[in-house]
Amino acid sequence: MTSGLLKHGVAIARIVLGAIFLYAGALKVADPKAFAGSIEAYRLLPYFGNYLAASIIPWIEIICGLVLVTGWRAKLGATVTILLNLVFIAAMVSAIARGLEIDCGCFKQGAKDPPLLAIGRDLVFIAMAALVLWQDRRNATD
Amino acid sequence: MKPEVKQSLLGIIVVVILASMIGIGLNWKLLANAWSGKVVAKSPAGSSQLAIPLPLGLMQVKELFDKKEAIFIDSRDRNTYAAGHIKGAISLPLLEAGTLVAEFSGRIPNNAMLVVYCNGYACEDSVELGKQLLAAGYATVYYFDGGFPAWRDARYPTAGGKQ
Repeated sequence: MTSGLLKHGVAIARIVLGAIFLYAGALKVADPKAFAGSIEAYRLLPYFGNYLAASIIPWIEIICGLVLVTGWRAKLGATVTILLNLVFIAAMVSAIARGLEIDCGCFKQGAKDPPLLAIGRDLVFIAMAALVLWQDRRNATD
Repeated sequence: MKPEVKQSLLGIIVVVILASMIGIGLNWKLLANAWSGKVVAKSPAGSSQLAIPLPLGLMQVKELFDKKEAIFIDSRDRNTYAAGHIKGAISLPLLEAGTLVAEFSGRIPNNAMLVVYCNGYACEDSVELGKQLLAAGYATVYYFDGGFPAWRDARYPTAGGKQ
C-alpha cells in the first residue's frame, strides 16, 4: 500500500516537473530574443553565444518536459533536468558573487524573481528529478 | 566506463543535439543576424513599412562610445534617466517623442550616427524611438539591445542627474 502510494507520488512529481519544464521552455521559445537578453545579463557568454544558448536551452527544457510527462525515457529526462538545473544554479551563484542585478530568466522574461528564490526552486526541481531516478533504480532492482 | 553511465552520456548528447537542431533550425535567421551584427529578430511589424534601427552589442557600442562617433539617446522616462544613464546620453523619452524628435532634429544634423537605448532586451522603447528617428530623416540609427543594465553591469561610464 505504502509502496503503491509512493509510486503514485513519484509519478505525480515526474508529471508536474515535466509540465513545469514544458511551460518554461514554451515561454522562452516564444521570445528567444528576450531570453537572450536574460542570458546576456549574466555576462558569461559572448554576444552571439547568448543568442545560441537562447535558441537551444528552451528546446532542451521542452524535450525533458515531454519525456518526463509521458514517462518514456523518464530517467534520461530526469538526468538532463538535474544537469540543467545545476548549470542554472552555478550561473546564478556566479552572478550573485559578481554583484550583478539579474532577472533569472527562468520563466517569464523580465519577471524579477529574487535569485535566492530561483536557486531554491531549482533545488526543488533537482529533488523531484532525483526522486524519479531513485524510483527508476528501485524498479530495476525489484 | 560502466554501460549504464555510457548510456546516460549518450542520451544526454542525443538530447543536446536534437535541441540544437530544432533550436538552430527555427532561429537560424536570428542567429545569422546576431553573428553578422545585423538586424536581430525585428522584422517590420505588420503592414508598416517603417525602416527599423539596427541592433548593436555591448562591445560595438563601447567602441562607438570610446571613439565618440555616435550620439547616445536614452529613450526611458526622465526619472529613470536621472537615476542613471550612459555618460553623455541625451534624454529623449519615447512618450514625449512626438514633440522632442522635431526639436532634436532641429539641432542635430541628419548625418549623425545615433545609438538609442532603454532598459535592455525586453524593452522595446529604443526600437520604437529609433523608428521615429529614422522616419525623421536620420540615416544611421542603431539600438543597443543590452541597454542601460548591460552598460552599467559592465561598469562603463555612467552619469546621474537630469539633463
